[in-house]
Amino acid sequence: MKVARYSWSIAMALFLAIPTALWANGTKEDATQGPVKIVYWRSLTGVAGDAQEELVKRFNAAQDKVIVESQFQGAYADLIQKLLAGLAAGTVPDVVLLDSPFVVLFAKDGALAPLDALVSKDKSGFKLADYIPGLLQDGYYDGKLYAVPFMRSTPLLYYNADMFREAGLPDRAPKTWDEFREFSRKLTLVTAGETTRFGSAFTLSTSTAHWYFQGAVYAYGGLVSDDKFGIHLSEAPAIKAATLWQDMVFKDKTAIGSTDPHTEFLNKRVGMVFGSTGSMGNLFSRATFKVNAAFLPGQVKNLVPVGGAVLAMTSTDKVRQAATWEFLKYMTNADSVSYIVQTTGYMPVSTSSMNHPDTVAYFTKYPERKVALDQLKFTRPQASVISLGKGTEILRQMVEKLLVGGMDPAKVMAETTVDLTKEYNDTFK
Amino acid sequence: MKKYTRPLRMSKREKRDAWTFSAFVFPNFLLLGVFVFWPIVYSLYLSFFKWNMIAPRKTFIGMMNYVNMANDPVFWQVLRNTLVLAASTVFVKLAMALGLAVLLNRKIRAKDSYRAVLFSPTFTTSVAVAMVWGWIFDPNFGLLRVFINAVGLRSPNWLGDVSWALPAIIIVVIWSGVGYDMVIFMAGLNNIPTELYDAAKVDGATPWTCFWRITFPLLSPTTFFLTIVSVIGSLKAFDVIAIMTDGGPMNSTNVIVYYIYQNAFQWFKTGYASALALVLFVIIMTITLVQTRLARRWVHY
Repeated sequence: MKVARYSWSIAMALFLAIPTALWANGTKEDATQGPVKIVYWRSLTGVAGDAQEELVKRFNAAQDKVIVESQFQGAYADLIQKLLAGLAAGTVPDVVLLDSPFVVLFAKDGALAPLDALVSKDKSGFKLADYIPGLLQDGYYDGKLYAVPFMRSTPLLYYNADMFREAGLPDRAPKTWDEFREFSRKLTLVTAGETTRFGSAFTLSTSTAHWYFQGAVYAYGGLVSDDKFGIHLSEAPAIKAATLWQDMVFKDKTAIGSTDPHTEFLNKRVGMVFGSTGSMGNLFSRATFKVNAAFLPGQVKNLVPVGGAVLAMTSTDKVRQAATWEFLKYMTNADSVSYIVQTTGYMPVSTSSMNHPDTVAYFTKYPERKVALDQLKFTRPQASVISLGKGTEILRQMVEKLLVGGMDPAKVMAETTVDLTKEYNDTFK
Repeated sequence: MKKYTRPLRMSKREKRDAWTFSAFVFPNFLLLGVFVFWPIVYSLYLSFFKWNMIAPRKTFIGMMNYVNMANDPVFWQVLRNTLVLAASTVFVKLAMALGLAVLLNRKIRAKDSYRAVLFSPTFTTSVAVAMVWGWIFDPNFGLLRVFINAVGLRSPNWLGDVSWALPAIIIVVIWSGVGYDMVIFMAGLNNIPTELYDAAKVDGATPWTCFWRITFPLLSPTTFFLTIVSVIGSLKAFDVIAIMTDGGPMNSTNVIVYYIYQNAFQWFKTGYASALALVLFVIIMTITLVQTRLARRWVHY
């Protein structure tokens, strides 16, 4: 029974061989020979995903010093989970497309490489000042730059123009939240005691519920939290915004909270929804009616929180960092950004891309898509609490307590303040 | 009785057998060790730390994760949901599976088609199941609405309503599991000797008596196996919830495994998630031990 005797060692050898083989596959290339290979983790699907692939292809074709391998890692949240696993295992990509609120979280513990030295050493005529200041701002943590703006978006209001006409409303979006409430009432249809059509839908979904609420608080002249993590939810602007949203759902019964408001909108169940600049292509192409994109309603002022993704560097060695820097510059140069704007509807992130002849021509041809560009003047970064591990979730729960639980706004805001403070202490202390 | 005593030294043959045995179990032990035992030990270790998986160092905080858990109202809600889900799915599902198994074990037409249809959820991806049920439950366009309206009622907003979301999940869990349990019950039924029924019939027993006096007691090992597997399965429910409700609205469908996932991978609270995982481990072990104890009273082998 020779086989039996050796089977132990054979089994052992096999089990050691498999992981070793995988390991060897993953070791880094020798950086001194030939082009440097770097790995880019991207997110987003559809046109936004294709556009990134196209830019990577163009970068690889345009030069021979760096080869970028683009790897799709799922939605923003999936990518973050994989990055966590990668950090724990000690194998990280070189550059990631990161949901902007998470820059702080990853930069704080040293998972991202600061870009300042690369910026100051750069002799290629690169100008940091070309980026729109309001969009560059959330790439900073503790005075250092960790990310550059890439696919940035603002919250917009989308409305069904056919439904507006039919309800006798003017063909324009409501200018204030009070008017939004009025329009919602006119759009609502009740047949035989059952509401068959609501004026508007608020989003309850995990990734964006907090974003539109922040927009409402900004419009009322308030803040969710300041740069020092002071929380301002119990102040009048936030309470007023919360009360209006809640009253529309429970008192007027002209609005609903939904985890999938865009489907409700496309099914003509609601007349107005909130969406990102990045949803523009999708809504315009799928709707069977005329969709218009407009500013989020104002109240005492027009101001919205800017969202979307940035490019951040996760490389750990100098050679790869230098290669990654070339890639970052390419992805955010005027030609690339102009291409992103035209294919996806995301905002131009730099002055040069905004003035790019292709961008100008595009907006002349499609004036209805210009709303994002116009709104750029009225943006500020999101609330600081968004960068806390559970920050967006606590704010989503707040919206849920208001619109599903029907709890008293003042009480909800007090609870949320306590939760956010606890989360701040947990994250930073 | 003569007591068997082992010789001190193993014979050549015994030695060889021992080696062969080790060779065959080693891969299993290696896999179990790497993917089961080591994670349990490591979770226990992590549960004493605060760590976001990004920071290079973990902060030791002693029992704080467990203290926070005791003070976390969501944890208690999640625990209650988990137990409600387990209790309400297991009994209904097993009763339905047994009923179907007995029905389909008779000589009826197109028996195999029925079996195939009932078994199909087992080999359907749970993600697809959850998506389709999500549409069925839609209060405006869903299939269920049609039936509810037909009897003159108005469809609840199943997945959007705090009091209807968990019942909806329970329905889906029962629907997806009943086919598998039915097949196992059928295998059990086939093991019962037909002579017993013949003898009972001669004595004039009704089908009802036959079921309770023959079928049910002789199926008890199968029932026991399915109870344990179903309880553990429902305590670990995840996929349907992740797709259909994300644990909402307002945590009304959040269960412990989903809460662990949220804490670890969405909110970067690895230590707290590990502590939760350990609590789940203890719960499952306790319930299984209690079931095994109780089984001595009602399971006949």
